[in-house]
Amino acid sequence: MRDELIALARQGDEAAWSALVDRYSGLLWSIARSYNLNEADTADLAQTVWLRLVERLAGLRDDAAVGGWLAVTARHEAARLRRPCGGRLPDLAATGPGPDTICLERERFGQVAVAIRGMPERCRRVLRFLALAPVTYAEIAAALDIPIGSVGPTRTRCLAGLRRLIEAA
Amino acid sequence: MSTDERLLDRVRAAFAELEPLPACIASAGRAAFGWRVPGALLADLTAYLDAATAGLRGGARLLTFSGPGVRVDLEVTGAGEVAGRLDPPAAARVLVRHPDVSLTCGADESGHFVLSGMPAGLVSLVFGLPDGTSIVTSWVRL
Repeated sequence: MRDELIALARQGDEAAWSALVDRYSGLLWSIARSYNLNEADTADLAQTVWLRLVERLAGLRDDAAVGGWLAVTARHEAARLRRPCGGRLPDLAATGPGPDTICLERERFGQVAVAIRGMPERCRRVLRFLALAPVTYAEIAAALDIPIGSVGPTRTRCLAGLRRLIEAA
Repeated sequence: MSTDERLLDRVRAAFAELEPLPACIASAGRAAFGWRVPGALLADLTAYLDAATAGLRGGARLLTFSGPGVRVDLEVTGAGEVAGRLDPPAAARVLVRHPDVSLTCGADESGHFVLSGMPAGLVSLVFGLPDGTSIVTSWVRL
């Protein structure tokens, strides 16, 4: 089943294309957030990357190849869009909240959101990918430009750190 | 469910609240499918020189697109004038694709073509060849 979508989309099946779009929208969003892109740049990133995927539908073997290609292409595009003076949205998950916000957030999400903000950037990025997208370790590695072998250990270490922060709160 | 999986569920819920997926990502994806040109040969961007690097004036850029057995060179001025060449040369119909603007012209027998009013933003060229096949250049942001 997993390998059929790209083949169907290549033949013009719009429903199959939509299913691919739904599957990978979270991956593009995670990459845009990792680069702190603002709303307009995120929209530009998505438009560019999807159009480039459409033009090379014939060149990608299967759905597994789509994820890796999207991750690398979106990362390059995000790096290009993240201009030194460009409008950047602060890393929402990293913005230090005021004391009132902390209390409110604790009520809304337990301690998790607050704890995520207390994590190092690298952890926050990996957690975001695990949370927002049904991604493989290979796709996370491609999106963050880190060795694939480090994704599993990073996940384990960051979840352990997050658990400690939650328990200490 | 492992304790890691339970914790990840809470992380998922927190990110969904903190950074909800904007609708524009999926809507851009659905719209992109309308630009499909079935069977077209893709010429990918292989070189992009801006004015400073290429020693050109007035914000001009030099772009090269390459695909299997095909090459497209474009010089785009800051004012949106385009001088291009298709190789191998062919008297092709040239269409500029852009989300809001559509431009056409013809390439001569030597593959040369000129366009004016090239829009800023995402563009792609489609060449309709005399034998009925087509070539598309990869979408680039000008």
